[in-house]
Amino acid sequence: MTLTILAFALSGLLMAGGAAVVALTRDLMRMVIGLGTFLLGVAGMFLFYGQAFLATAQVFVYVGGVLVLFVFAVMVVHRSSGGRPVLESRHDIGAAVIALGVSGMVILSLQDSVGGWLPASASGGAAIATELLGGHLVVFELLGALLLAALVAVLVIVGAGERR
Amino acid sequence: MTLLWGFLWGVAGMTVIAVGAILGVWWERKVAARIQMRYGPQQIGPFGSLQMIADVPKLLFKEDIIPDSADKPIFKYAPLFVFGPIAVSMVVIPFSAGWAPLNTSVGVLFFLAVPSIEVIAILLSAWASHNTLSTLGGIRATAQMISYEVPRSLAVLAIVLLAGSLRPLDVVDAWRWWWLPLTFIAFLIYFIASIAEMNRGPFDIPEAESELVAGYFADYSGMRWASFMMAEYGGMISASLFGAALFLGAGWPFTGALGVVALIVKTIALMTIVMWVKWTLPRLRQDHLMSFCWKVLTPLALVQLVIVGVVLPWL
Repeated sequence: MTLTILAFALSGLLMAGGAAVVALTRDLMRMVIGLGTFLLGVAGMFLFYGQAFLATAQVFVYVGGVLVLFVFAVMVVHRSSGGRPVLESRHDIGAAVIALGVSGMVILSLQDSVGGWLPASASGGAAIATELLGGHLVVFELLGALLLAALVAVLVIVGAGERR
Repeated sequence: MTLLWGFLWGVAGMTVIAVGAILGVWWERKVAARIQMRYGPQQIGPFGSLQMIADVPKLLFKEDIIPDSADKPIFKYAPLFVFGPIAVSMVVIPFSAGWAPLNTSVGVLFFLAVPSIEVIAILLSAWASHNTLSTLGGIRATAQMISYEVPRSLAVLAIVLLAGSLRPLDVVDAWRWWWLPLTFIAFLIYFIASIAEMNRGPFDIPEAESELVAGYFADYSGMRWASFMMAEYGGMISASLFGAALFLGAGWPFTGALGVVALIVKTIALMTIVMWVKWTLPRLRQDHLMSFCWKVLTPLALVQLVIVGVVLPWL
């Protein structure tokens, strides 16, 4: 039990530490590392709640996929000064207001849903699959189509830029 | 308690990889020498087997050079995260029927997901070196590793579909000999994609000694450099073990202790083929590498999935 609490505390610490790094540093690469730390903490939280599938998917998709895109973007960004890429300007107060607003919106909108269609916390990957490919199949497929459309749009825009 | 066991198995995984890398380097030198009609190491110990005992202290005591322009904290610690995830991924491998160090319901996904952290670490170490060759190597490695994850995962999906479970032990239990011809395409795809994931020849474009010096780890020396090598050998060991367990029936046709021996023999055979391929085929070109992944392997993996999907209702 103590070890479980320790794991929970470690996940929380990773999340808080990662978020603090993202919010406080100006060095882009350190921000990305902070974000990665935060995402690993979230995976730890999923594990704590018995959602091994979600935790693994979190590492696979977000740490191994999305975060790589971030690092990629930072790496290919033009370094005019030859030094480390840093955030030249930031709007701390505005960003904090938006972050609080979005958090409030997400919490309020999810408040009614929890216990409704979301699978119970004890259920595993099978329950999530049944939900996504059962009752919410149409929404799931629409989201997939939207992502595909975005991908094709990016290709068209990049292609047009290259032709020019 | 589970967490503690997980930690201990992680340490065991690292030890297996470190020892495996030492033996693997010796074996690779012998295999490469045989292919190139040389003798390979033969002076120290029987068949030169103690050569690595001399090499390890050399690496341990070699000067640890950190370039002035490097981003020092990231440069120093990134190699740990290249090697660590590979060691951790080994805990879900079913070493014998009914036993895996970590028996989890999402083991197969875990094995595919955790090493993806290595990609970030490779990119970070390339970026931290702050030189053009490393950056190019890092970008190449990332493009390659992310692309080949797709056919690799799809190939494993064929086996998961047949077994109806993401738990490696369930897959081993459900495995039947006729899965071998049925999923042979998937096995080939998994094997080729795994070689690409390890960044080994003919897919060693990110390292490309002749053009990028050593790519993303060009600036590393001593034990930090050795971490990259151990990650490469660790990847070879874990991918071969996982492939032997899932696609070749683990200990089949034996059970018990003989089954474990059979699994190890299959793993060594797969590793030897990986070495054979490296020392036989020339390095691919970057655009050929990507076309091969997206235009050959991925469609083939989808065809394999359809074949399994069609056969599945009749089983």
